[in-house]
Amino acid sequence: MLRTLSWLRSVRRAFGRPLALLRRHRWLVVIGCLFVPVHAAAMLWMPRLFGDTLDSLTTGSAVQLRATCWLLLLLAGVESAARFVSRRTLIDASRHVEQDLKDELVLHLQRLPIAWFDRARTGDVTSRMTQDVELVRFVMGPLLLHGGSTLCLLPAGLWLMLGMDVPVTLASLGVFAVLFLAMRTVLPRLHAWSKQSQEAIAAVSQQAQEDFAGIRVVMQFDRVDRELAAMATKNRRYLLANLRLVRLRSLMNAMTHSTSGVVTLGVLLVGGYQVIEQRITIGQLFQFLGYLGLMTFPLEILGWTLATLPRAHAAGVRIAELFEVAPEADAGAEPELRGALRVQGLTFTYPGAERPALADVTFELAPGQKLGLVGAVGSGKSTLLALLLRYYDPPRGSVFVDGHDVLDLKPSALRRLFAYTAQEPFLFSDTVAANVGFAADDAAGEAIDRAVGAAALDQDLPQLREGLATIVGERGVTLSGGQKQRVSLARAVLSHRPGMLLDDTLSAVDPVTERRILQGLRNERRGRTMLIASHRLSVLTDADLILVLDRGRITERGDHHTLLAQAGAYAAAFWRQSEASALESAPAPEARP
Amino acid sequence: MSDPYADDLIEGRFQFGFLRRLWPFVRPYRRGFAACLGILLLSFALEMLGPWLLRLAIDGPMRATAAARDERLRELLWYGLGFLATMLAGALLGYVYGLLTAWNGQRVIRDVRRHLFHHLMTTGLGFHERNTAGKLTTRVTSDVENLNELIATGVLQSLFDLMKIGGVTVLLFWIDLELALFTIATLPVVLVLSALFRRNAQRAYRAVRGKLALQNAFTTEILGGVRTTRAYGRERAIAARYAARNADTAAAWRATVLHFSVFFSLVDFALRSTTIGLLWFGGSAVLDGTLQPGQFVQFWLYYGMLSGPVRELGEKYNVLQAAFASCERIFGLLGEPRFPPPPAPGRAPSPSPRRGRARVEFDDVAFAYGDGPPVLQGVRFVAEPGSTVAIVGPTGAGKTTLLSLVARLRDTVAGQVRIDGVDVRDLDLHDLRRRVAFVAQDLFLFTGSVLDNVRLFDARVDEDRVWQALATVGAAEFVRALPQGLATEVQERGGTFSQGERQLLAFARALVVDPDVLVLDEATASIDSASEARLQRAVEVSLRGRTALVVAHRLSTVRNADCILVLDHGRIVESGDHQSLLRRRGAYASMLAHATGA
Repeated sequence: MLRTLSWLRSVRRAFGRPLALLRRHRWLVVIGCLFVPVHAAAMLWMPRLFGDTLDSLTTGSAVQLRATCWLLLLLAGVESAARFVSRRTLIDASRHVEQDLKDELVLHLQRLPIAWFDRARTGDVTSRMTQDVELVRFVMGPLLLHGGSTLCLLPAGLWLMLGMDVPVTLASLGVFAVLFLAMRTVLPRLHAWSKQSQEAIAAVSQQAQEDFAGIRVVMQFDRVDRELAAMATKNRRYLLANLRLVRLRSLMNAMTHSTSGVVTLGVLLVGGYQVIEQRITIGQLFQFLGYLGLMTFPLEILGWTLATLPRAHAAGVRIAELFEVAPEADAGAEPELRGALRVQGLTFTYPGAERPALADVTFELAPGQKLGLVGAVGSGKSTLLALLLRYYDPPRGSVFVDGHDVLDLKPSALRRLFAYTAQEPFLFSDTVAANVGFAADDAAGEAIDRAVGAAALDQDLPQLREGLATIVGERGVTLSGGQKQRVSLARAVLSHRPGMLLDDTLSAVDPVTERRILQGLRNERRGRTMLIASHRLSVLTDADLILVLDRGRITERGDHHTLLAQAGAYAAAFWRQSEASALESAPAPEARP
Repeated sequence: MSDPYADDLIEGRFQFGFLRRLWPFVRPYRRGFAACLGILLLSFALEMLGPWLLRLAIDGPMRATAAARDERLRELLWYGLGFLATMLAGALLGYVYGLLTAWNGQRVIRDVRRHLFHHLMTTGLGFHERNTAGKLTTRVTSDVENLNELIATGVLQSLFDLMKIGGVTVLLFWIDLELALFTIATLPVVLVLSALFRRNAQRAYRAVRGKLALQNAFTTEILGGVRTTRAYGRERAIAARYAARNADTAAAWRATVLHFSVFFSLVDFALRSTTIGLLWFGGSAVLDGTLQPGQFVQFWLYYGMLSGPVRELGEKYNVLQAAFASCERIFGLLGEPRFPPPPAPGRAPSPSPRRGRARVEFDDVAFAYGDGPPVLQGVRFVAEPGSTVAIVGPTGAGKTTLLSLVARLRDTVAGQVRIDGVDVRDLDLHDLRRRVAFVAQDLFLFTGSVLDNVRLFDARVDEDRVWQALATVGAAEFVRALPQGLATEVQERGGTFSQGERQLLAFARALVVDPDVLVLDEATASIDSASEARLQRAVEVSLRGRTALVVAHRLSTVRNADCILVLDHGRIVESGDHQSLLRRRGAYASMLAHATGA
């Protein structure tokens, strides 16, 4: 009793939302469901008519024959029409459900806390949004259609068959039941083996991917033969896994075929005997065979449903899990913000981490000032920027903007203070212009041009086939890392926010362009607060304050000149980098031959 | 290749060339496939036998009311047993057929995959730079898989279907000429319907596939860009854009639903009408006494066998089309020239064993990518055994390209690269690449342990040698600190290691093979002083006693180099050692002065 209850609850969890969405299209469903029994009735009437006609061939008249034929034609018409309507409406409805479900999912995902995305794997989320939604749609559409038709055909057909011959009907059913049970015992093995086969091809795929990506290393170190041998092994493993799978599948096929053969034969023998005994007519024998033929499809559907439902249920639960994650609370004060920052003894540890990402960080920044953040990978630079955007909640009393604790500000209002460029810039598969104008609803051409100039993106435009209208990303032109960074920088400039957070945005830009960009930003920057995390120290020479971070702690602080005078890690790194850029600088023109 | 995705859009069309090019792969298994065909023939015959027995049973024992009851029953039983025998034999043959096609087909697939992978692994670097790893991987996996469809569904199953259609038609004519004529006359209707449907459904499906691919790519994008979206408060705008794409896909899906609903209804109606027509004409013939009821049933059952294959022809074609497209892509790739090209006849590559020292010589070398502008021109220099040549110059000057010519990752367009006086093109490639080791700016990590990544899966290199190499470059310490030491599995993208650690591992990877020549693309400096010091030491010990070519990013490296080449726009502008170049007050001196702000 309790188990049934919890099962029901779980079904409601999995299918509650899709069913509610299906209700939006209830008229499609109602019409479709009305036509399902019509279709079944037409199907079930036909064997009887065929049988009667067969019998009338020996006794009846041509007039009778023709009348039956006309009736059959009418039935066939009704059947086709009913099938068309039910299929069209029900499957359409399921596609609507799919569409709505995906829309709702995306809207929901857009509101989840960033911390949730840190833990979630993209592959997992996309597979829930595609494969799992598809499985749920299967239940809402095809299953409804075929299941409904099974619900009509199976009992009615059985009843008709039982009306003709009880023992033969029961015997046929018995044989099918045995087959069904046999299949059920084999199915788990089939699943296990097909999973192994998929794993085997995944291994092939992974090696190929790595070898192609690392082809330089493979060639340089003369490892081609070793990789070929490794691939041959994986290839063989896949072959063996597949052959094993085929053996099982062929066996199952043979079982199905011989079972249905045996049933037909049994019916023919018993029926033939009864025909000879003159208890039934040949027509009736064929009528019975006709019913039997009608039963095979519903029986298949039944097996298919039993196999699919648990998977669809699991898929529904996985989707429900996404919906059950609480969205970020977007509430709080919305004062006019100017961008004065005060960070006070900030210590922050990521949930689940042992070591704090930031420890006792304190600094102040007036509006319009520039702050540089320096440190190795994992030193806490990005974390500090993320806390200012309130991607995570800092401890109360540690981060203030214009005197307000960020915890008291509405997150979306706080974010309107800063333009932000991520370490790995995010571009849409869209035009360059659309990517630059991402943050503004109505960016005019002139504003875009200015932003493009400030980010030194204009020097790349001639290389792109259609300039600003060139589509980038998937199905478009692939931009270099530096170009992507410049697009995201132009986007930040165009957003006209009072502050800017640049997370290592110039790492893939060559020194000459870097100088241009810095100049452009200086012009655009007037009055903007800027926080720049960078490995490239030349970017920070004009910063009002530079913080050197090491494992979350500030180890050196000051402006460029003070830090150079301190001759610490910053100074050492700065001189090393000037060396490197010297060796990469272009020789003066007069020195060229 | 202007559009990197152009070959994804290939519309599969049959070409006789496919068969010719596939034949070498099929040939080794021709006996197996011949056996498959034989079994198909047998099963065809068996399938034809069933309705025949039924007809005999109906016209014989069932209707022969004159004969004795026991006699009729015994006869019926015999027919039943015959029927049973054909059923069981059919099932058995089906089983054997399934195994046999898989056994042979899957082996062909394996061979094609092996061959394709081998080919791709021996094409030039330029080819791999034009084609992404992901795309090539799809060719090796799914496209080869589609080829299986061509063999199993395409050739064998289609042959069987055609055989069935032909054979059944002959039988139909043999049973009753007029009825057969009527049946055959209706077939074109179904065929035309199928053809129409096929065209529309294909178009609709292609639209769905394209839109779905875009939508899924967009899904991945917005998940990856969630931080940017949040920063600019564009959540609703993103959701709206997704909804627009989603609506597009959904509409395309519903178009396919329409096609399918219409098609299934129409074709079923057409087939049913034919059956009813059969009943009409056949029934009249039986009433007239020109046709026996059993014959009529037989005819009917044969006709039923015909409708299946005819109906599926359209569907099969869809599968086949995908297979044809894959064929075209695969054979297209197999047409890519290999690198290096096979040596001219009579010019056997000369062996070049490791000898502990090597003299590298660039003699008037020029290089260009494809038909592009020259990347290197008139490059001439000598690296004497044990000396270090440092290369400096701006990004795009051709430094990295120059390095790739030493181990013959690319061939020069003009001039020669010589090792110990022999053109690298005349050397045994294995020997050459074993003598020249490469340290890249960033370490490419393979799935596997740290051990396997350092020795690159070469089991002949034992752990002691790996430890020795790690100790030499100063990486032993942090490797020992890993959870499982050398056996630690590296994580995706090597997230386990810092930038400095990765370069140290790259040095260890090169030193473990104890090369005669070291080719080094020095990493740019990082903020981390500790790893900086270790790296500097690693560079020093690695170069000691070896001939080395270094793209230098550190002053210490160039200062210690025996020769510095200043490269600009593919030409050597200046060369000499640090002191002499400074004295010249030329390009090199101005570069350094410019940097130190002096």
